[in-house]
Amino acid sequence: MTRGFAITLNALSLYAVALVLAAAFAAQLVLQELPCPLCLLQRIQFAVLAIGPILNVRFGPRPSHYALSLLAAVAGAAFSTRQVLLHIMPGDAGYGTALFGYHYYTWALIGFAAAIVLLAAILLFDRQFERGITAEQAAPGAFATSAVWLVIGLTALNVVSTLLECGFGACADNPVVYELLKR
Amino acid sequence: MEFTALFLAVTIVMLVAWFGRRSLALALFAVVLLASVATYLHHATDTLKLSF
Repeated sequence: MTRGFAITLNALSLYAVALVLAAAFAAQLVLQELPCPLCLLQRIQFAVLAIGPILNVRFGPRPSHYALSLLAAVAGAAFSTRQVLLHIMPGDAGYGTALFGYHYYTWALIGFAAAIVLLAAILLFDRQFERGITAEQAAPGAFATSAVWLVIGLTALNVVSTLLECGFGACADNPVVYELLKR
Repeated sequence: MEFTALFLAVTIVMLVAWFGRRSLALALFAVVLLASVATYLHHATDTLKLSF
């Protein structure tokens, strides 16, 4: 795997994270279901997962950048496992609406597990780490740059959304209204 | 409020990763990861209702 191909794969992974964040937003806005604190924490971990690929696009692929994403994915998997276990009792309807038979936290666990496997797989290819032209000299293309700004934009939108939902106090365990929009 | 702060912190780390120094981005990443784990541990006080 060449350095250029690895950077393209990293850009694709950023689009995947953007898709997850956009889907969570869509569910929040269309179904009027506000994310719970654990749900927000899982969204945060998906955003943290994107920092490694951003560094790979900016500075070129390095094992340490993939390690950051692995750490974020392991933490995210732990958080989503916690929420799966909270609703594991028979008869428990779960939190929020199910999508294709699974709740969002179950999809999140599948997503983080898939990220761990994919990160391990991409680390198998050593040629991407060979030092040739530096990443600083080779500016990222429009495809990768758009992916970076899409993820940054969606994360910034989450700052606004979470502020509206939780206000300046602690987030409700089962939020039903936006604290800052209450009349 | 802590979740808003975490999202804001992640946005800042992303901007540093894109525009700033690599070492600073790595250090800020560590801070954000530790903060999110600490937030999780702070909230993980509910009893797990396991089925066995």
